[in-house]
Amino acid sequence: MIIYLIVFFAVTLIYFASAERLVTYVRLIGLQGLLLCGIAISELKDVNTANLLFIVAETLLFKTLLIPYLLSAIIGKSGVTKVHRQALPGFYLILFSIAALLLSVVLANSLINPFVNTIYMTIALYTLFTGLLLIVTHRLIISHLIGFLIVENAVFIFSLAVGSEMPMLINIGILLDIFVGVLILGFFGLRLKPHTNELTMLKD
Amino acid sequence: MLLMFFIIAAIMVILIFLFRNRMITKFIAVGYSIMHILLSLYCWSNSDATELRYFTFNSTGVLLLSILSVLAIPTIYHGFVYTRGDDLKKFNIYHAALITLMTFMSGAYLANGMTVLWIFVEATTLAVALLIYHDRTEIALEATWKYVFICSAGIALAYLGILFLGFIYGREDAASLTFSSLSVLINQANPMYLKIAFLFVLIGFSTKMGLFPMHTVTIDAHSVAPPPVSALISTTLMNVGFLAIYRVYTLFSSSPILPFMNNVLIFAGLLSLLVAAGYMLKAKHLKRMLAYSSLENMGLVAIATGVGGSGYYAALLLIVLHSFAKSSLFYQMGQLSRVLGTFRLDDCGNYMKLYPAGSLVLITGLISILAIPPSGLFISEFLIMKGLVFNNQWFVLITAIILLCFVIYAMSTRFMHIIFSNPRHYPEFTQSVKVRPVETVTQFILLGIVVIICFYQPQFLVDIINQSFSLLPR
Repeated sequence: MIIYLIVFFAVTLIYFASAERLVTYVRLIGLQGLLLCGIAISELKDVNTANLLFIVAETLLFKTLLIPYLLSAIIGKSGVTKVHRQALPGFYLILFSIAALLLSVVLANSLINPFVNTIYMTIALYTLFTGLLLIVTHRLIISHLIGFLIVENAVFIFSLAVGSEMPMLINIGILLDIFVGVLILGFFGLRLKPHTNELTMLKD
Repeated sequence: MLLMFFIIAAIMVILIFLFRNRMITKFIAVGYSIMHILLSLYCWSNSDATELRYFTFNSTGVLLLSILSVLAIPTIYHGFVYTRGDDLKKFNIYHAALITLMTFMSGAYLANGMTVLWIFVEATTLAVALLIYHDRTEIALEATWKYVFICSAGIALAYLGILFLGFIYGREDAASLTFSSLSVLINQANPMYLKIAFLFVLIGFSTKMGLFPMHTVTIDAHSVAPPPVSALISTTLMNVGFLAIYRVYTLFSSSPILPFMNNVLIFAGLLSLLVAAGYMLKAKHLKRMLAYSSLENMGLVAIATGVGGSGYYAALLLIVLHSFAKSSLFYQMGQLSRVLGTFRLDDCGNYMKLYPAGSLVLITGLISILAIPPSGLFISEFLIMKGLVFNNQWFVLITAIILLCFVIYAMSTRFMHIIFSNPRHYPEFTQSVKVRPVETVTQFILLGIVVIICFYQPQFLVDIINQSFSLLPR
């Protein structure tokens, strides 16, 4: 079951590289939240009920519902519907995405460790690279936000890779990350450059 | 004691919003700075003690905590002056955020494990965001957005580095381990994992330390942040980033990746110097130029750490003295903007005629920050050069010297222009405010410390710096 969820997750990442409509990005972010919830519940066998509730709230409540809702609000306010301001054409982004996938496979296999699940490691690295690629190759604020949220998902998968438990301290760290994500979206995303969705003022 | 400190700090913040009275807020802020000094004294007298399981009063943390204690009073005082004209709500938010920021930084200094350190570093981002956004302008919003976004992305990368430590240990509770427990396991680890973990941590926490390639975040924040806040971002908050990197460096120093870490630090340091020198030559905004000067100094700290040996002492001394010199310059920026009404270099001039005491701070600060004798920073930079000569790292030495020459030229010509020349353009409208010379007293005291340390380094300072790198290979 887990393997299907992980492969599905990887497919969403490839879709990110090819998608051009912001609404697709929002749906993919919501879907990733749902998949992460499924992966976490299947993987974390030794976790106590309180911790499990915590993780379900993190993934379902925040990642699947609240964050896509806020993203939709930003898109609605800005009126920008397409990722038409890329620093790179979409075709090259797909090529880079595939290269990132290959690099993740190579890296994860060269870092084989008895304590770590290689599939998790591969997908976590690929998620990280995809998030960074979106941040670097797009110019719109909302694309940067989505890149950041993907990096957050990479952190979540990395924290799952090491075992069947997720200690409270790691949970607090991840929750703080999500809190910052929501803060960025809710406070800054809704106020900053609503019409152009680009940053312009602070330059040397 | 530490628990009391955190609880009282939280109560103080709540009281600020409950009472909504300017005098009470001032009283609370001063009370907080006194409490912070008491905390530092307590940490000095209980060195290496552990409290609340996650905090240890080790020498590096206590040294940096003490710097924050020294800077707390002038920062709060200059904050009172800066926020004098603000409405009560803004005034209260500013001081509550300042107390919160200093509390989170204190927690980060004393944290004895990577995850707790990371949580406090992330928390500082939220507190400092409120302070950068203090003026509520569109440009402040953009700078705050950039700061929160890049810091959060960077800190997420740092967290990946911490999770890599978990892969070394092989148990899910690795992130909760203290530095001392992890150090036992390092020699059994795959060096590749250590290298990746170090790179993630270095890049991630560079957002706080202000090192290349994540330096842009602090530069933009300085453009709009209130000057007393810039003083903290450029000194004590950068020290938080340095500490996080230094902790991991110390942890990994007994492993075979030490030469790799040294090379990476020297490379990052040199690139930081290059970027700082390049941008300072074309700087048009005074606070941005000072921010690039911080980048240059952090570059030197990275090089010093990479050099090893006497470089460790140089790095920590540089951290201490840079904190005092740079904060006094940023406090002075607050007064300069009140007198000249601008931070734009082309619009600045005749400062000596308008405010001689401030000009004197600028001249002394310039000498101090450029490490020209009798500045204590000269000792640090001399030790770095000496270390490079001993290691036969001639390329690094010559490149660093050339880049430092550019920095000296860029800063001194601009400062001299502000102090002695007429402005190139007169701003359309500026309402000059009379500043009392007594307001510069704290700046002279801090710069005085920097000068005194050139001639005399007190034994307690030498001892605590030596203890800070006692775990590193000599």
